[in-house]
Amino acid sequence: MISNRLFIRLLAFAALVAVIAAIFWSQNPAFLSGGNIRALMRHMSVQGLAALGLTFVIVVRHFDLSFPGVASMGAMTLGWLIASGAPFPAAIAGALAVGLVFGLVNGIAVARFGLPDIVTTIATGGLAVGFSYFYSNGTSISQNFFMSGILDLNDKRIIGLDMPFAILMAAAGVAAVVLHASRVGAGMYATGQNRVSARFAGIATRRLIVLAFALCGTMACLAITLLVASSGAANVTAGGQLLMPAFAAVYLGAALFGRPSVGATLAGTLMMSTMLNGFTLLAIPYYYSDAIVSTVLIAAIAIFDPRLSGLLNFRKAAA
Amino acid sequence: MTSGTRTVLDMRGIEKRFGDVKALGHVDFDLDAGEIHALLGVNGAGKSTLIKILSGVYVKSGGTIAVGGVQHELGTPRAAIEAGIATVQQHPELVGDLTGAENIFLGHEGARPGLFGRIDRADIARRAEALLQRFPIQIDLSRRVADMPAVDREIVAILHALRLENTRILILDEPTSTLTEREKASLFSMMRMLRKAGIAIIYITHRLEEVYEIADRFTVFRGGQKVACHTVAEARGKAISIPVLMLGAGGGLTFPPRTGRSDGAVVLEAEGLSADGFANVSLTARKGEILGIFGLVGSGVDELSKALFGAIPSSGALRLEGRDVRFRSPAEALRAGIFLVPGDRRAEGLTLDENVIFNTVAANMSRASLGGLMRFGANRRAARELAQMVDLQPMRLDRDLRGFSGGNQQKVVIARGLYRQAKCYIFVEPTVGVDIGARSRIYALMREISKDAAVIVMSSDCDEVHGVADRTLALYKGRPIEGAADRDQLLHAGIMGGVAA
Repeated sequence: MISNRLFIRLLAFAALVAVIAAIFWSQNPAFLSGGNIRALMRHMSVQGLAALGLTFVIVVRHFDLSFPGVASMGAMTLGWLIASGAPFPAAIAGALAVGLVFGLVNGIAVARFGLPDIVTTIATGGLAVGFSYFYSNGTSISQNFFMSGILDLNDKRIIGLDMPFAILMAAAGVAAVVLHASRVGAGMYATGQNRVSARFAGIATRRLIVLAFALCGTMACLAITLLVASSGAANVTAGGQLLMPAFAAVYLGAALFGRPSVGATLAGTLMMSTMLNGFTLLAIPYYYSDAIVSTVLIAAIAIFDPRLSGLLNFRKAAA
Repeated sequence: MTSGTRTVLDMRGIEKRFGDVKALGHVDFDLDAGEIHALLGVNGAGKSTLIKILSGVYVKSGGTIAVGGVQHELGTPRAAIEAGIATVQQHPELVGDLTGAENIFLGHEGARPGLFGRIDRADIARRAEALLQRFPIQIDLSRRVADMPAVDREIVAILHALRLENTRILILDEPTSTLTEREKASLFSMMRMLRKAGIAIIYITHRLEEVYEIADRFTVFRGGQKVACHTVAEARGKAISIPVLMLGAGGGLTFPPRTGRSDGAVVLEAEGLSADGFANVSLTARKGEILGIFGLVGSGVDELSKALFGAIPSSGALRLEGRDVRFRSPAEALRAGIFLVPGDRRAEGLTLDENVIFNTVAANMSRASLGGLMRFGANRRAARELAQMVDLQPMRLDRDLRGFSGGNQQKVVIARGLYRQAKCYIFVEPTVGVDIGARSRIYALMREISKDAAVIVMSSDCDEVHGVADRTLALYKGRPIEGAADRDQLLHAGIMGGVAA
């Protein structure tokens, strides 16, 4: 019965993607060209990594609004390290470390000290944005980029896939094992759904919440590394574009598949990236596409979320 | 009955099908004005289906409903309310930050004229006053609901249901499940007052002794059919057994036989244990026997169970198998071999949106995983074995816990404990919201578990503690009272705080 329901959801999702793709294709046949699909997958890679990280935090039923700011600081750290001549693996490690540290700070503040997650992560995110100006007073950094080899992260191909997409797939594979086949993931779901019963089952709820925030920060910095590699410069506003698509992908996926999961997040990312890419092809200004994506998100959540539709019925009945 | 036997509700040949499943087959049910009519049956017997049809949640598949002699269809909750039928849910949803009166008229406050349409508090107070004049009850409706005791919240929910003048039928779904004995008495006196005012009450309960205490008539459902309808006087006179009616021949609440042994090895020992809620409790739990602790809601039993489990801090000595221990968290207590079946299984015991397998293995992740990865095949096998042992019904391992009845949810919590293989099991309120068929099974399981481990049962149901335990102890306002020799002394100790001579 469960697998049956999953099958129906998958079918509904495939139909939805097909309809969206058909609409764009009818407007501009280039939408389904090989080049564009590769561009779409690239776009998906950056958004998908950030969304995957956020998935862990959403599974333990918390919010992280800091990761765009943390990602900006990660980008500037990466740029500064490369500009000052560090080898690019060390520079990437530096960027990821920024994400890890901020994630740990968020997690400990929320899980250990019980601070409210939304306000706390807005504050730490703001702090990270502030720090990201330290390196260059806010100007973008691109020295040494061509020499360092970081651009390979964007340009190289591996087993027929563009490097960013291969990284996304690898990260998704690891995330899927952690979240869906390990005791860590089982503990995270238990923690998110019922904190008290998880604690009574001996699950280390606090540690898992800290881990979720740490993963979210680190993955956001990995995402921004790919973005920096593709643009060839580190920018203090780089992280800003991650927030809305990541939340949209996680929630859209959770709405489509009934609960947040790695597969659901990838599906949500695919839909978000398809729409954003399509609107770009149709030369619709980005400020309109944001509005359209947001509308689609809200509509999708309302249609697919059984609790929400149940609530609507209840309202109708009570009125 | 002052208002005579005026039929206010007449349901004839009611049927309800869900696809191929017949939940209710050709049932007749009637209700007189000013009577309290108990509705009985194990979970799945059809009583909730009937109630949902009556309150407009379900649309009936067949049959007719007459309210006050007028035919009604009742397809929606609104239609039911307009027909004069009001329902109080098992866990009424009230707004804690509003006062009792504001909750009663929530959504019908009536605004004062003006730009902001401010709520007319004086008007609410007037209407609450008028309601209390119709139904004179001792309650302060100007208090915040969050500050009220459970019984007052229940009364607010009932007054909410009665706020419309035309309400003639009141449905109460297990209103006493969270109340203490004393609170129950004040709820019952309110019900008697409503009966006098001519309101017909349908009363759903799992506690059969309440039927004799409060009801005028009762109807028993079994397997989607009405199997009996008697007045309580009739049942008393003819010695009709309600458990037998509910379960069919041979049924009845049975406690497993005691072993009569009290020489097992001491597993858990507390000496002068104190925490927020109780003080200076000493107890000894031995392998091979069941220790029963009787205490009303608020007596400190819940706190005691949590202190033994490391969920709340405590002072005093605690020894496990002779060694001094101090648990700083449930995780430490679990590792040491203590398992708690908590009093509120939905909030504390289970992950309701996960399936049976997940919930069975949740308290022993080391056993459920290998090198950090979940052992899916082995876990499924173990869960199936334990589900068969606790007699889970239906036997659906992939179903989310939300889809099981209270009794079967409790069986999964017990399966979780069995998977943990603990040395000492603490059961708190093990049969609240559990139907009578599953209760016998749960008592039998406790006895089985006690063969290999120490078992402590804490409950506000005196008969349960007395029936299942080898040794008993009462807790009264956080104080332990020992020396009760029989059921009545135990009851007295838990309610009055002393052992009667």
